[in-house]
Amino acid sequence: MSDKNTLTIDALDSEVNVLTERKMRSFIDNKKLQFILNTLLTKSKSVFFAILGLLIFGSFWSLLSLYTKEALPTPTATLTVLYEMLRDPFYDYGPNDKGIGLQLFSSIKTVLMGFLMGSVIAIPVGILIGASTICKQIFYPIVQLLKPVSPLAWFPIGLVVFKDTGLATIFIVFITSLWSTLINTSFGIASIPQDHKNVARAFGFSKMRYLTKILVPYSLPHIITGLRLSISVAWLVIVAGEMLSGGTGIGFFVWDSWNALSLEKVISAIIIIGIVGLLFDKLFTFIENKVSYKA
Amino acid sequence: MGYLEIKDLEISFPTPKGKYIAVKDINLSIKKGEIISIIGHSGCGKSTIMNAIGGMLTPTGGAVQIDNKTIKGSGPDRGIVFQNYSLLPWLSVYENIFQAVDSVMNCSKKEKNEIVEKNLKMVNLFEHKDKLPGQLSGGMKQRVAIARAFAINPGVLLLDEPFGALDALTKGTMQLELLKLWNLNNRDKTIIMITHDIEEALFLSDRIVVLNNGPASTIREIEVVHLPRPRNKIEIVKMPEYIELRDRLLHLLTDKFSIEDMGMVYKS
Repeated sequence: MSDKNTLTIDALDSEVNVLTERKMRSFIDNKKLQFILNTLLTKSKSVFFAILGLLIFGSFWSLLSLYTKEALPTPTATLTVLYEMLRDPFYDYGPNDKGIGLQLFSSIKTVLMGFLMGSVIAIPVGILIGASTICKQIFYPIVQLLKPVSPLAWFPIGLVVFKDTGLATIFIVFITSLWSTLINTSFGIASIPQDHKNVARAFGFSKMRYLTKILVPYSLPHIITGLRLSISVAWLVIVAGEMLSGGTGIGFFVWDSWNALSLEKVISAIIIIGIVGLLFDKLFTFIENKVSYKA
Repeated sequence: MGYLEIKDLEISFPTPKGKYIAVKDINLSIKKGEIISIIGHSGCGKSTIMNAIGGMLTPTGGAVQIDNKTIKGSGPDRGIVFQNYSLLPWLSVYENIFQAVDSVMNCSKKEKNEIVEKNLKMVNLFEHKDKLPGQLSGGMKQRVAIARAFAINPGVLLLDEPFGALDALTKGTMQLELLKLWNLNNRDKTIIMITHDIEEALFLSDRIVVLNNGPASTIREIEVVHLPRPRNKIEIVKMPEYIELRDRLLHLLTDKFSIEDMGMVYKS
């Protein structure tokens, strides 16, 4: 008798289980669907507002070009030229006539070289300044003195030292890339909390262990922030630098187009410069998020 | 002769206005396996004494000796649990303990891993070993910190207000956990703990060191707690000795007992 009872109860139980499971699953599916829909809604909202912003900007632009009797080219004229430029970006008809892609690559190469060399100097010096008061007292006044100087002012010095416009351009990017990285690195190192240092002392960490387990992980987010700021400024400076140096590069392209009185090309180049700068920023923000931690 | 001897300890700091004496004339002899609480108002130099025992501070006078050897700097014979856990936020729970063990112990990697696992299991955190400290609650973080201190198998355990940041319920559990770990180690470890909680001191310690107010503070009184072990929180509060001791400690630590003592009078 009792056996039978338990059996029925068991059967009931499993039935109930199946039911709840099915319910649960459809419930979860619903949740998932809702989640996807919600994200889509917020995403499309932000896209909508971004397009709205661009439209407002575009109409101002149109008004302005109307007002200047199309001395400032209209958005449509500019976009047509931009499209033409992007259709064949890698043509090369001699030193003064190269495709936009080649110019862009030349600029990016210059920026990356200057930026890499700057970072290789700035990070170790930043660590020194952050870690030792004496180093700070030695280097910091120099940093404070030179930081506000426009990097373009260094161009003649680069020319004198390197006797080559290309190298001089790399040199000004190098100088530009120093400051933000150096200051952020030294700040990161100097702000290592006493708690973390206490841990290292209490458990007798070796210099190497302190470096790899405390100093670097703590200051890495600060260093990456510095690098991000540095490359943004370097990208700002390259355009002006190449206007001075000539030859190739997106900055030269802007100046050359202005001399050829093609404002459509100038504005197209501005758009491309903006997009590349944005991509640099996004890249470093991505790395920043990768190395940051929650306290 | 005690296991840990503090002799004429004086610690002062140079300031622009001259020497600031934080603590002086501290004499204390602690037996192996004893649990000592140091209690006193904020700023009376509790942490200073603790840092001197931990070797984070060099005494300006006197000495701290363990097994008749004057300590110099920090060492693996003393495990420290800091007030704010002090875990490294970018390392997993496992790595936080492993780095300490790896730094201090001289044994094979396999043995080190075993030590970490044993200590993680001891504080019931083995299933959380891959989490980052940011994902843990305050009590869990403190358990990691305690496991880390135990893992290097020190003779002396130094706890700097270990449960000060926890809520009352978690605090109670953690106190029991600490006693459990102490029992598992055959009551072999000497524990020195800073606290400002009288009940906590009475529940845990063999002796309570009361400091007077700084600057230049020193030991005001040492109370011996004769309550039998194992202690039961609910039982001991009814014992006459507990009540008497608590009253005495309260008198030592409190000068004013109501706002009337502060010169205020109720208007009726």
